This record gives sequence, C-alpha cells and structure tokens, in this order.
Amino acid sequence: MDNPENVLIIGSGVAGMEASLMLSKAGKKVYLVENLPIIGGKIIKNEESFPNMDCSTCLVAPIQQEILQDANIEVLTLSTVEKVTGKQGDFKVTVRKKARYVNLEACLGCGMCYPVCPVVLKNEWEENLMDKKAVYVPCSGSLPNVPVVDASECLFLNGKDKSCNKCVEACMFGAMDFSQKDEELKLDVTGIIVATGFELFNVQELENLGYGKYPGVYTAFEFERLFASNGPTEGKLFLRDSEKTPDSVAIVHCVGRDEVGYCSNICCMSSSKHARFIKHNLHDAKIYNIYSDICLTDKSYQKFYDETKSHDSEFIFQSDRKKMNISKKDGKLEVSYFNGKETKESILVEMVILANALRPSDTIEELSKTLEIKRDSFGFIEIEPSKIGSVETSRPGIFVAGCAEGPKDIQGSVIQSEAAVAEILSMLDR
Amino acid sequence: MSEKIGIYVCECGPNIASKVDIEKIMDEISKLEDFKDKELVIKNHKLLCSNEGKEFLEKEINENKLTHLVCAACSPRDHDTTFINVCKKTQLNPYLYRIVNIREHCAWIIPDKEEATRKAIQYIHAGMNRVLYQDSLFEKELDSNPDVLVIGGGIAGMEAALNLAGEKRKVFLIEKEENLSGKAVFLPEQKISDVQKNKNIKVFTKTVLDKLIGFMGNFEVVLKSTENPDETTELLAGAVVVATGYEFFDSKKLPEFEFEDKDDVINSLEAERMFSENKKITLKNGKEPKTVTLVHCVGRKEVGFCSKICCDYMLKISNYLKEQSSSIKITHLIKYLNLPYKNSQNFYNKIKEKGVEFIRYSDLSVNGTKVEYTDINDKKGKLESDLVILAPAMIASKGSQELAELLNIDLHETGYFQEVHQKINPVSSTTDGIFIIGSARGPANIIDAMQQAKAATGKIFTQLIPGEKIIPEVMVSEILEAYCTGCQTCLQVCGYDAIYFDDERGISVVNEAVCRGCGNCVGSCPSGSIRTKHFTNPQLYQEVKEAIR
Ligand SMILES: Cc1cc2nc3c(=O)[nH]c(=O)nc-3n(C[C@H](O)[C@H](O)[C@H](O)COP(=O)(O)OP(=O)(O)OC[C@H]3O[C@@H](n4cnc5c(N)ncnc54)[C@H](O)[C@@H]3O)c2cc1C
Ligand SMILES: Cc1cc2nc3c(=O)[nH]c(=O)nc-3n(C[C@H](O)[C@H](O)[C@H](O)COP(=O)(O)OP(=O)(O)OC[C@H]3O[C@@H](n4cnc5c(N)ncnc54)[C@H](O)[C@@H]3O)c2cc1C
Ligand code: SF4
Ligand code: SF4
Ligand code: SF4
Ligand code: SF4
Ligand code: SF4
Repeated sequence: MDNPENVLIIGSGVAGMEASLMLSKAGKKVYLVENLPIIGGKIIKNEESFPNMDCSTCLVAPIQQEILQDANIEVLTLSTVEKVTGKQGDFKVTVRKKARYVNLEACLGCGMCYPVCPVVLKNEWEENLMDKKAVYVPCSGSLPNVPVVDASECLFLNGKDKSCNKCVEACMFGAMDFSQKDEELKLDVTGIIVATGFELFNVQELENLGYGKYPGVYTAFEFERLFASNGPTEGKLFLRDSEKTPDSVAIVHCVGRDEVGYCSNICCMSSSKHARFIKHNLHDAKIYNIYSDICLTDKSYQKFYDETKSHDSEFIFQSDRKKMNISKKDGKLEVSYFNGKETKESILVEMVILANALRPSDTIEELSKTLEIKRDSFGFIEIEPSKIGSVETSRPGIFVAGCAEGPKDIQGSVIQSEAAVAEILSMLDR
Repeated sequence: MSEKIGIYVCECGPNIASKVDIEKIMDEISKLEDFKDKELVIKNHKLLCSNEGKEFLEKEINENKLTHLVCAACSPRDHDTTFINVCKKTQLNPYLYRIVNIREHCAWIIPDKEEATRKAIQYIHAGMNRVLYQDSLFEKELDSNPDVLVIGGGIAGMEAALNLAGEKRKVFLIEKEENLSGKAVFLPEQKISDVQKNKNIKVFTKTVLDKLIGFMGNFEVVLKSTENPDETTELLAGAVVVATGYEFFDSKKLPEFEFEDKDDVINSLEAERMFSENKKITLKNGKEPKTVTLVHCVGRKEVGFCSKICCDYMLKISNYLKEQSSSIKITHLIKYLNLPYKNSQNFYNKIKEKGVEFIRYSDLSVNGTKVEYTDINDKKGKLESDLVILAPAMIASKGSQELAELLNIDLHETGYFQEVHQKINPVSSTTDGIFIIGSARGPANIIDAMQQAKAATGKIFTQLIPGEKIIPEVMVSEILEAYCTGCQTCLQVCGYDAIYFDDERGISVVNEAVCRGCGNCVGSCPSGSIRTKHFTNPQLYQEVKEAIR
C-alpha cells in the first residue's frame, strides 16, 4: 500500500462533507466522489432550513469552500464508483470520472460561456422549472463554480454541428477544453463511507393527486426551488408558467407514505417550513396543512410546529390517506379528503404542495452491488444488525451515513457521519 | 530595517481589468505623497490566485525582501487564505499582509470606469496605511491532554467511554448512582462488563463533578463523592462528554391526573422493567390484566416538546401484552403517532392487525384506572380498564442546570443541553472541548444514544490527537495592565468566559487560549484598556481615515 491512510467517501451531501473535513483534520487523505458536477447534496436546493430558518447557503457554502480548498481532500465530481475489491484496510477502488470539458483550474466561473450556447435544455436540478444550456452550471452559486458540458447534447461533441465553438470563443480564459476524456482512476483506500442520500418518491404513481395533470400541483422539491432566491423565479411564488401568486395553498403531508412503508421523518417539518414561507411572503394567502400524523424528531421542533399552526396555517387531520383526491373545480383545485369523523370534506385552493416521501437514491441498487453491501427491505443501506449502535454495513470497513441509511434531517445525517469517522479512525488505529 | 511594501494588483482576467484602469491605479499609487519616503514595489498580474500567480507572488516576496504586502484583488472570502498561505511559505509574517477588495467593492459595482478606478486607488491607499501599522503575530503551540472525562454511566456514556479509551487515551467515567447502566432496560449485552474490564477506563461511581476549569486540551477537573462531599479527586482531561440522560416528567403534577401508588396506574418504565424481570406485566395483586389503556403524550403540552421515542416503545409494550395474552383488550390514547424510525410503521401495522385500538384524544383525565377523554371530533368517551400505562414526557435529568453552570455550557429552552450549532455541529456544546450526547441532549433511543456517543468520539479523535499540540487563535485580545481599573465590565460581555479577574493585581486578564478575538470586550471597557491583536485602534484608524476621506 502506497498510503495506508486513504478514505473514500461516496456522496457529497451534508453527511459526506462533514466526514471529509473531519478525516482531513485527522491527517487522512480523502477522495470525495460525487456523481453530480457540484458538491453539497440536497440541502443546497433549500433556501432556508428548519427550524431556525437558517439560510441554507450560509450553512453549507463555507463548508463547501473549505472542502474545495483543502489539500487533503480530492474532490472527484462527475464520478461514480465502478468496482471495489479487497477488504477492510486495503480496498482497491475503480472510479469512473466523466469529462467536464471545462478546465477546473483555468475557469473563473465568469458565466460568459452559457448565454452563447444555442442548445436549450430542461434543467433537472431545477426540477425542470427552468432551462439550461448544453454548457451550464446547475444553479447560480454552484460549487465548484465551474460549468460542465452535457456531452450528449452539445452540438460539437455529439457531432450535429462540428463547427460550433461558441462557448470556446466566449471564454476569455481558454478554459473550455473539448480534448478532455472520461478517465478511470484506481484508488487504494482503507475504508469507505457511503453517503449517497435520498431521492423523492415519484408522485406520478398516485394518479388521484393530479400531479402532472394540473399545473398547480407541486412536489416538495419544486416548491423548494420556487422558494429559492437563486431559483427559477428568484424566490417569487409564481404559479407555474405565470406571474400570478396563489391566494390559497394546500400542503399535503405523507404523500407516498403507504407506498414506501415508513414515515419519512422530515416532511412534517419541511411542510411546516413551506407554510411559514408562504405566509411570510403572501400575508393574505390561506394555507392548509393536511396531515395524518405529526412527526417531530428534535427537542426544538414542537415549538416550530406550534407556531406555524397558530400563525401561518390551518392544520387539518385526514383519516385515510388513500382516499384523498385532487381535481379541478371552478378554475381552482379541489382537494377532498376524509376527516376525523371519516366523512368527506374538501377545500378549494390554487396551489397544492405534495410532501413526497423520501426514498433511497436511484443509484443505490447498483452501488450496493458494486460494494457488496446489504440493503434493508425498503432499499436503504442496512447497518449490520449485529453491530447495534454502529454505522458499519454488512461488509467490514464500509460505513453508511445520512439519508442513504434512512430518512433524517441535517443533524441526524451529520451525527451518523461523525460516528462513521470515529469508526474509521478506530479501525486505522488498530 | 526600512519598509519595503509590495503592492500587487490582480486583473482577475477581465473581471477587474475591464472595469478599472489598472495602469492608472499603479501610476497613482507610485506617486502617493505620504509614501514618498517608502520603498514600493508595484506590479500587476493577470490572475494572482492561479498556481502561476501564487508562485509569482512567492518569488516577488522573497526576491524583493518585502516587509509588507498588499494584494488588491477580490473578496477576502475568496482568497484571503490563499495569500496568507503564500506568505507562510516565505519570510514574510502573514500578519504583515493585507487584502484589498477592488473587485466586489469597485469593479463589479461601479459602472463608471473612472469612478471605479478612483475608489480602487483610495482603497489600496487605505490598505497600505493599515499594513504599516500591523504587527507580526506568531502562532503558539500548547501541549494538550488527550484524556476524556465522561459524565453519566448510562448507555451513551458507556458507549463513549468504550470508543474513546485506548493505549494513548484514558477515560474517566463518572456515575452518580451506585452502578453503571442508566435507565435503558434492555442494554446491549456485556456493555457494563466491557467497561469494567477495559484497563483504559477508570470508573468512579457515586461520584459527581465538583469543579472544572480550563479549556479544550487542558481541563482541570475536581470530582466529589456523593456520599462524602469532602472526598474529592483531582485529575486532568482534554475533553468532556456529558451523558447525564433523562428523567420522567412527574405525571402527578398534572391536575387532571389523579391516582395513588396503590392504583394500577404505572409508567412505561415500570411496565418495561416488570416485563424484563418477570416476562409478564401484572397488576398490583399479581394478576394479569384483561384490559389495558396506554396513555401517550403525558405532560407533552407542559414541557413543550414531543419526546420522540415514546410512541415507539408504547407499541412495543402493547406487543408484550399481546404476547402475554392475545385476548387482552388494549387501547392506545394518542395525540399523534410519532414514528420517525424506518421500521416502526410496519410494527404499527402488525400491532393494529392484532386488534389493538388507537383513539386520538384532544383532552383527557385519569382518575385511578378510569380514563375519560374527549376525542378529536369532540366526542366524549370513557375507558375503565384493569391497568393504565402512562408515557410521561422525557425531560433533562435533575441537576442539568447546575452541571451546565459548572461546565460553562448553555441549556436549550427545553432544559436539555444546547448544541453549538443544532444543524451542522450537533454533538458539540457551546464550549469547545465539551460534548453532549444521548438523552441529555434531547429524547433519544438506544441507537441514537450510541451513534451520538460515536459522533462525539469522532469529534474528539479529530480535535485532540494524542501527542499533537493545539494552536490557539492568535488574533486575541489583551488587557493593558497599566490602564485596567479592575471594573470587571469585560467579564460580563465575554461570551466565551475568556476573561478572569486577577485578585492579587486587581486587574482583569484574558486567557489567550480561550479568547476567540470577537472584540466584544474592547468596546465595553470604560478605560479603553483592551485591544484585539490585528484589529487595534491605530490599525483601524489608519485604514478608515483614508477609506472614508
Ligand atoms: C423538501 C425537503 C426539505 C428539507 N428541508 C430540510 C430542512 O429545512 N432542515 C433539515 O434539517 N433537513 C431538511 N431536509 C432533509 C435534508 O435534505 C437531508 O437531511 C440531507 O440532505 C441529507 O444529507 P445526505 O448527505 O445524507 O444526503 P444528500 O443531501 O442527498 O446528498 C447525497 C449526495 O450523494 C450524491 N450521490 C448519490 N448517489 C451517488 C453515487 N452513486 N455516487 C456518487 N455520488 C452520489 C448525490 O448527488 C448527493 O450530492 C429536507 C428534505 C426535503 C426532501
Ligand atoms: C419506557 C421506556 C422504554 C424504552 N424502550 C426502548 C427500546 O426498546 N429501545 C431503545 O432503543 N430505547 C428505549 N428507550 C430509550 C432508552 O431508555 C434511552 O435511549 C437510554 O436510556 C438513553 O441513555 P442515556 O445514556 O442517554 O441516559 P440514561 O440511561 O438516563 O443514563 C444517564 C446516566 O447518567 C447518570 N447521571 C445523571 N446525572 C449525572 C451527574 N450529574 N453526574 C453523574 N452521573 C449522572 C444517571 O444516573 C444515569 O446512570 C426506552 C425508554 C423508556 C422510558
Ligand atoms: S460547443 Fe456549442 S453546443 Fe457545445 S456547449 Fe459550446 S456553445 Fe454549446
Ligand atoms: S467562460 Fe470560461 S471562465 Fe467563464 S465560466 Fe465559462 S468556462 Fe469558465
Ligand atoms: S414526517 Fe410527517 S409528513 Fe412525513 S411521513 Fe412522517 S408523518 Fe408524514
Ligand atoms: S413520541 Fe408519541 S407519545 Fe411521545 S410525546 Fe411524541 S407523540 Fe407523544
Ligand atoms: S475578544 Fe471576545 S472572546 Fe476574547 S476576551 Fe474579549 S470578549 Fe472574550
């Protein structure tokens, strides 16, 4: 082994970032693998974080910056883990790193390259609420603040127009680099932390909720982006494809809970956060939170919920989640549900936010096979059941932290990541 | 040695170069009246922060033997540390360098090039003024003690001790009761004996903390026996882990809860212990109950928070009862069902299939084993059962307030210990080197408590490495002995308790290892006897007088 003290961290959300910085402080070399072009994970989609309504960027941007400047941390964006052999203390890892086609060292992030690109695409990172170009950054404030070229869409790279080099011409720093190739990296590491986070339940599975059919129905992440000052509407609450603000909003809790089979732990709080945000911006809007249970996982959360309930939103209990229906009526959305007496009631609103369940990330199935680690019945990475209180997976030397293990809030994710660091450091000490 | 100031103007590609007149800046700076007798080296560079730029800067500092450095570039948020790191490679003390932001403050916000240029010159001039008044500062290294004091011998404290203890790190585990174990009924096997067998853990039972002074890496600890307060032990530790657990809210305090000890009204922990000892939950007369009411959220409104774990364990108790006899009629009176753990929902579905009933109440009263309630539809109901099991709210354990004062850490408004940052630093207290875990930090189950113990271990492993020195902040405050009148105003404003009063000399003194250089004390001192290094009055005056001219 060249360096017996390397650690691989997969996923750069709050969990992966905390572990990276801690291990670096302990003098270890860290490879931080992230499949997106940017680091930070899901939390950077959020303008503010419950319960203190901290500005999320202010929470994580200093952490992201510190990671990018830390000489012990090698950040591998656009990368995935392809193969892992060996055992605890001596893993051989193959990482596939896709070409960015922009030189990370030379690019200043000036943003001159994207306006000139002729290719217009939907920006998935922005939940398709806005467009991007073939050369793009997912959102303003992305870190690293360096664009990436979508190789399958770029006219030069896909061969549709070999003469296009508009971005190359626009860049005053010679940072565009179409000679870059995908790379395969071989890493020797002693331990691995899986911190690949979560995705949201696909609400299109529930036809009764009208998502996709009625433009006024939003997912939780779509709403987070509307609410974001660096998002598609710069934080203005406009209904889809218009400049009209909603006069009434229904926020539906527990969407997909029965389908996934567990409570998602954070959505009561994020839904309360959404109610607060709407009320602060649209004082006259009528807001309803339709819940079936209230899940509060931190000592400080009840107060947040109580205050939201008394100032911002009417909380309505629904007795049977399966019986909810959303349809169009009088130009508005009619949300009907069964109340505590098990009788049908309905409300009329202009906007509906569906608090969709958290589920394992898309890549986890393949990754768990590559890593040869077990998943639980829901598809999250499983902690070895015989190791109570640990965060080690079924394969010794591989640990899990954050929402890759199950839904949780920021602090819950950070705690597991700090625990993973303790276990890795004890392992190396032995 | 005469001063030789290097002034380097970064073009930041076109970012700065296209918005201000670089040549003019350099020319005017070279002609400044008040720097006529100083030697100046003035140069521009396309991109100072690039590798090539950093090498250029390093060479310039060395070859010109600069005594002071001003970089006119971007925001210090972006590249202050970049240039500090360049200085560190050279003979130049990094505190004799100053960054001036001519990008965000000039180029990017002033459309008129001439005006932007003028302001850039003024700002650079201000920076030059300041840098001449800056002093070299030197990082100090302090020895640190890697050992850890763990307070509380429940599952959280024991797990922390086991993870932390090693050849190079001793752990002192103190427990106020006679035995280790805490309140968890089903402890993971062998925890207690593992702790007792570990030669790097020293256990003190019937012991509490008496006094703690110092700072991370160097705490002086005094312990005292609960039996004989005169019996004290002194020791040194580098970090402290607080794991003092929870306590039940006293249900009898609630006016609507009327019951006596002879009634078959018990709390969840009593039920749990009974089951663990006899594999049965029975009535006071030894018989098995046929009907049981489980009341959730007892005292929740009064304490102001949800205890997070009681819904989960109440389902577990329900399951014990059903296993004991499938014909037991069980009713849960719930407010909400809080099931944050991923396996709980399936468990709940299973319990429901066994015929257990759930009623959502808005109000209720307990009179012996008679429970009257109003449900969420305002319907009134009454349950008369053989046994009532209460889930009282979990509150911070007795003595948390005193302990917080001894340790100089904050309490949350719920009475639990407070994190320094709830979101991104969740097991660290408001004082460096002191950590909060388990149900002392907030409601937690065993797994939460153990993972938090590991999290604190991770923090200690990375902050307090055996044999490594700690480097305290150098931009700290100092109190000038000659001016201090001993009024002690500064002691009140320091949020870090970094100032102490020296009785002998009658003056206040800053503990440099604890001070963070926040500057609070400077403004508070009526005699103007405090200064923060690198932010002294002359430094600020020299800079500001030019910047606002
Ligand atoms: C609508 C909504 C609002 C929320 N609001 C709050 C809030 O206000 N406060 C709060 O405390 N919590 C909030 N949360 C929860 C919070 O988002 C999570 O706790 C947090 O993001 C979890 O961090 P993580 O690091 O575990 O995962 P993530 O943030 O999901 O990060 C995982 C990272 O791993 C990457 N990745 C995935 N697969 C791979 C792979 N195979 N290879 C390489 N990289 C991979 C992903 O691209 C991502 O960058 C909210 C959640 C939702 C859904
Ligand atoms: C009815 C019930 C059932 C439960 N069932 C489960 C379950 O099935 N699964 C599960 O995971 N969790 C369960 N729990 C939760 C579990 O009991 C807690 O997670 C666990 O006890 C928390 O451990 P701790 O170490 O944080 O605190 P504690 O167990 O409270 O330990 C704290 C220790 O610190 C000592 N101490 C306090 N103050 C001081 C001081 N000043 N100086 C020195 N020592 C001090 C105390 O004497 C005690 O020994 C249940 C809880 C209850 C109430
Ligand atoms: S080469 Fe043309 S299509 Fe491709 S990214 Fe650049 S501007 Fe866009
Ligand atoms: S134009 Fe060049 S320097 Fe500017 S963002 Fe694009 S690639 Fe980076
Ligand atoms: S956290 Fe709340 S909204 Fe989310 S699944 Fe659980 S109970 Fe439903
Ligand atoms: S966990 Fe359940 S019983 Fe406990 S306070 Fe919360 S809602 Fe009530
Ligand atoms: S500068 Fe701040 S931390 Fe330092 S002694 Fe003064 S008030 Fe305390």
